[in-house]
Amino acid sequence: MTETITISDAKAIIKNQIEELAKRNKEPNWMTRIRYKALEAFEKAPHNDPIISEEELLHFIAKPEIEGLPENIESLDDLPPEMKALLDRLGISEVEQKYIAGLAVQTDTGVIYNEFLKEWAKKGLIVLPTEEAVIRYPDLVKEHFLRLFHVDESKLTAYHTAVWNGGIFLYVKEGLKVPFPLHLFFLIQESALAQAPHIIIIAEKNSEFHLIEGCTAPILVKHSLHLDMTEAYFSEGSKGQLTVLQNWPEYVHTRPMTRAKIGNGARFINTTVGLGTGKSNVANPKYWVEEDGYVELNGILLGQKDWFVDLGGEMYLQGKGAAGINASKAVIMDNSTVITRGIIKAKAPKTKGHISCDALLLSDKATMETYPGLVSRVDDAELSHEAAIGKIREEELFYLMSRGLDEEKATQLIVKGFLEPMLKDIPMEFLVEIRKIIELAVSGGM
Amino acid sequence: MLKVENLHVSVEDREILKGVDLSIGAGEFHVIMGPNGSGKSTLALTIAGHPKYTITEGRILFGGEEITHLAPDERAKRGVLLAFQVPPDVEGVKIIDFLQQVLIELKGMGPVEAYDLIVKKAEDLWFKEEDLHRYVNVGFSGGERKRLELLQAILVEPKLLILDEPDSGVDVDSLSIISRKIEELNKRGTAILLITHYGRILEHLDKDSLRVHVMKDGRIIKTGSGNLVERIEREGFSDIFEEVGA
Repeated sequence: MTETITISDAKAIIKNQIEELAKRNKEPNWMTRIRYKALEAFEKAPHNDPIISEEELLHFIAKPEIEGLPENIESLDDLPPEMKALLDRLGISEVEQKYIAGLAVQTDTGVIYNEFLKEWAKKGLIVLPTEEAVIRYPDLVKEHFLRLFHVDESKLTAYHTAVWNGGIFLYVKEGLKVPFPLHLFFLIQESALAQAPHIIIIAEKNSEFHLIEGCTAPILVKHSLHLDMTEAYFSEGSKGQLTVLQNWPEYVHTRPMTRAKIGNGARFINTTVGLGTGKSNVANPKYWVEEDGYVELNGILLGQKDWFVDLGGEMYLQGKGAAGINASKAVIMDNSTVITRGIIKAKAPKTKGHISCDALLLSDKATMETYPGLVSRVDDAELSHEAAIGKIREEELFYLMSRGLDEEKATQLIVKGFLEPMLKDIPMEFLVEIRKIIELAVSGGM
Repeated sequence: MLKVENLHVSVEDREILKGVDLSIGAGEFHVIMGPNGSGKSTLALTIAGHPKYTITEGRILFGGEEITHLAPDERAKRGVLLAFQVPPDVEGVKIIDFLQQVLIELKGMGPVEAYDLIVKKAEDLWFKEEDLHRYVNVGFSGGERKRLELLQAILVEPKLLILDEPDSGVDVDSLSIISRKIEELNKRGTAILLITHYGRILEHLDKDSLRVHVMKDGRIIKTGSGNLVERIEREGFSDIFEEVGA
């Protein structure tokens, strides 16, 4: 950081970006107005990130892309050699490798999914890049855009809202049940100004879907700050699953902002798998759960190198019989730090909440902290929490080694086993990769 | 094949084995008996290479090669297998995945070949194919744990199988299948070192072919034939201790 970026410098930069985005997206005025309102809010909005200082944030805004990456990646051979080697070791298919390199956004996979989605569009499934949804479904987007956030909550919310680009708009019609997971590839934008995708999920009454975002392999991103925002709306009786797979390069700070409203009798399972060696990840998703609704937040973390993870999660059980589970399992290596601080607030009768947090520490320098919070405003809520932090048990390791597995293989097996029960909803093709990544991480090969 | 010479072993600075000598030839059947705390399990775990047990004196030879300081997996690769008294739970690891990996490591089998063999052998020990998708030892009864230990032995066919109280905490039916399988393994050439409190597991065996060692306070104080087992069952240890002045 050589030069000083002032807040007015940053505002001027954001203003330029808004103009560029408005032009590029040919977006309607109402959306551009939202962006400008966010720009106004940016200056006064509080900034309280535990890792990124305000000064640093202004620098990210002024210079969002990191240096030293190849300028133009036209084929897989242009990837940095370490990354290419890692992708080969993981045995990742060429199509996916291209996606990872940002090559497949408009090519291979886009086409596959378009063909497939056309069929389902007729039945009432809308999947579009959010920019396109703004133009094609303005009323739906207006009704749901930034309804679960306030633009002035923080500088990060304001900045995201001003410059958001990319992301997915998912709409599932009443009663429509999508029988297979939707894995969507167009999250990463080729030439984004800032990495700030906006995701809107609308599940109408009694609909069902499973959306998988991201990718298990490391993604080559040019931005050191990733600010995505997800707003999800579940109507009565709908069932949704959102699985987020992340594997960030070690220079990336991620600040996912996720919020969901879960209607009467609706269910939402939100699973985050963090496999990467990012710089930091700070998240505090919020969920409002109505009568007999159910929410589950599953956090699976493989903390490596200097990764700092602060995973919150607030659940408001506001309808009778609402229930929430916040479960996390973390394997923490090297100098990594993981903090979990789930909170469940019972505000209605017969609500149930449970927080569980397990961590396996594989290094003396790894740190784990957990702060479960249970708040009850009624006398018949059932709230509980459990936590276990420990290292690999000598007896278990000896047992496996006495069967001929060397220490590395025995450790890999124990670590995979520790995470396994949390991976129950992940489709097989991702599981295979996740297991390989765990093995590589345990043997220090990432 | 196995030679234990003047073995002294400590745990957290407390000496538990105080000079054990033991020699087991290929295919032989040895039994160790002795009261609680005499050092039987310590001997078993030390031969298998448990890191908690420090060898302060003496050495262990296997097949003529010194293995005193080898890692547990290296000993397993040379043909030593310990069936645990209380095998630990391994959360999240499916039996089938674990056993497949063991056979790949120790026998150089392919995954498919290993899978078929495991399912086939498991049936003999009353594990159905779907049972093999449970996690290793998690939620297992005493009998199930011991049968799973035996299954591993049958799959691996080690040169030396050490069994640490395979008969404790086991239902009658499990005991009879376990005892039959031990006999079978021995007949196929595996040397056995069996630690037990009871003679029951030895009922079907030819007493003359057994070598029985009695341990007390970290030493083997008497060695004899299978008849020793009956005598201990009948009279307890005190007469023998008196006889040898221990």
